[in-house]
Amino acid sequence: MDNTVEFKNIVAQYTEIAAEDMTDDMRFREDLGFSSLDFMSFLGELEDTFDVELEQEDALQVRTLGEALEMLDRMTEE
Amino acid sequence: MKTIGELLNFALKSYADLPAMRWLEKKEIRERSYRELGEDISAVRNGLAEGGFHRDHIALIGTSSVEWVTAYFAAATGENAAVPLDAGLPAEDLLELLNRAHAKALFLSPKNKNLAQQVRANCPEVRKIWLLSEKKEDGLETIGDLKAAGAGKEKEFHCMPGDIATIIFTSGTTGKSKGVMLTQENIAQNVESVQYEKEPGCVMLSVLPVHHAFCLVMDWMKGFSLGAVVCINDSFMHMVRNMSIFKPEVMLMVPLMIEMIHKRLSAADPAIPKKMLAEKVFGGNLKIIFTGGAHLDPYYIDRFAEYGVEVLEGYGMSECSPVISSNTPDHHKRGSIGRPLPNAQIRIENGEIQVRSTSVMKGYLDMPEETEETLKDGWLHTGDKGYLDEDGFLFINGRVKNLIILSNGENISPEEIENRLALNPLVGEVVITGENNGLTARIYADQDVIRVKELSGDALREGLQDVLDTYNRSQPTYRQITGLVVRKNPFIRNATGKIIRTEAEVDE
Repeated sequence: MDNTVEFKNIVAQYTEIAAEDMTDDMRFREDLGFSSLDFMSFLGELEDTFDVELEQEDALQVRTLGEALEMLDRMTEE
Repeated sequence: MKTIGELLNFALKSYADLPAMRWLEKKEIRERSYRELGEDISAVRNGLAEGGFHRDHIALIGTSSVEWVTAYFAAATGENAAVPLDAGLPAEDLLELLNRAHAKALFLSPKNKNLAQQVRANCPEVRKIWLLSEKKEDGLETIGDLKAAGAGKEKEFHCMPGDIATIIFTSGTTGKSKGVMLTQENIAQNVESVQYEKEPGCVMLSVLPVHHAFCLVMDWMKGFSLGAVVCINDSFMHMVRNMSIFKPEVMLMVPLMIEMIHKRLSAADPAIPKKMLAEKVFGGNLKIIFTGGAHLDPYYIDRFAEYGVEVLEGYGMSECSPVISSNTPDHHKRGSIGRPLPNAQIRIENGEIQVRSTSVMKGYLDMPEETEETLKDGWLHTGDKGYLDEDGFLFINGRVKNLIILSNGENISPEEIENRLALNPLVGEVVITGENNGLTARIYADQDVIRVKELSGDALREGLQDVLDTYNRSQPTYRQITGLVVRKNPFIRNATGKIIRTEAEVDE
């Protein structure tokens, strides 16, 4: 299943950048303006929406949209 | 009330059969009554005394948990001083703080258990380490062992109002964190002076870091004094989910949390009725958010009111145990930080807010000069600029001292970070500024190193970004640097050669 659309809609809640303008290399904090708490809350929303359980320590290493989507795809395939 | 013990005993007697705490364990809600909590605290307190700990400093490293709270109250009501430390700090910082605090024993969360070996090797004053868990791991003793050692023993403890109850480390303006010594009376008086009443059984959700005075004193101690059920948020990741699970009526937040929740409210489909959205996001029962630690744009107060949630802003600092002034449900004014607490006197000297109160700290641990400077003439010099209006409400409008206050309430000492970055040869001059909820490093590279390495343009930026990435990897997220400005010119300096911080963004 392709998670991209739903994933970007969640990202769009925290940034002024529209889903269609997002690219994989964009960094959450530097490019999308996420605060540290926005990012934590975003991870929690991924868990609730996609019914996965993230390892907080690993998830906090994620820097870009591409890395987050890759992590999510891996989790939903398991 | 003059001691934490009096405050706790009042709660344990008055609300014995009510739940004191709730938390999640493998997604199940667990609960502990005031009576059970009291028994555990008593056993751990006796265990500490049996182990010979008396008038000692007992450190705690961990996030909020039933074990953390038990250990904290056992130490602070057992004629010892509790020293809560930020579990997110790098190991080397924690070891340094343990030594500077003269900690004789340590309660350590299982998540930080790898630190135990380093503590043994580097902190000669620490005689004992207990895991904040009932389960044994890696051969370490646990709080359960301590409880067993103290269970059934009858011991008397007599804390005096002037005894040090807690030492809280806070960012210093000179770069070195300071250990704020708070007495039993400082804290007990702060709890008593905050004008807020609720029926016993009211539900609170504690989401702030427990090593902060605001969380420790206002969530836990104020909560217990009201007979509240204080629920533990297990992670910032799950804050909104936990609000639906525990359905709190009252919460303490820093502005960053309010801003984050507002983003989620704003992003929701406008067709969803506000009442329904409030239930989804706030859990359905939330009526009041007390906020402090950083400035909150009053815009959010109006927006949250649309969802039936009153946001009340207050003001404080660790040195004041921590609350100095607060808006209350009955007395509040938009944009102000409330009226001073009944135990506090405020004066404004050269624009600076100064405080005299029974909650003002005893001083900074082992720092007589800094103590003298901050507590000049019997008044606490807050370092904040402000004024009192004709109705006695306090307003804040700037800072005298050089601290960056982020909207998550963390105080950052720019010099502390600058000193670390300056150790790298590529960094010639550096100034840290706070912007957009994060930190920016403005760096003028060392011109000799640039020449030798033939760095310019993108290569120079990459080199400096590497310096920041290395630093960031060793730091908790709130101390990470998210912005980089590569300066083309050196910073402007004053006559004595010091960089003029207010002009750090000039001539970049």
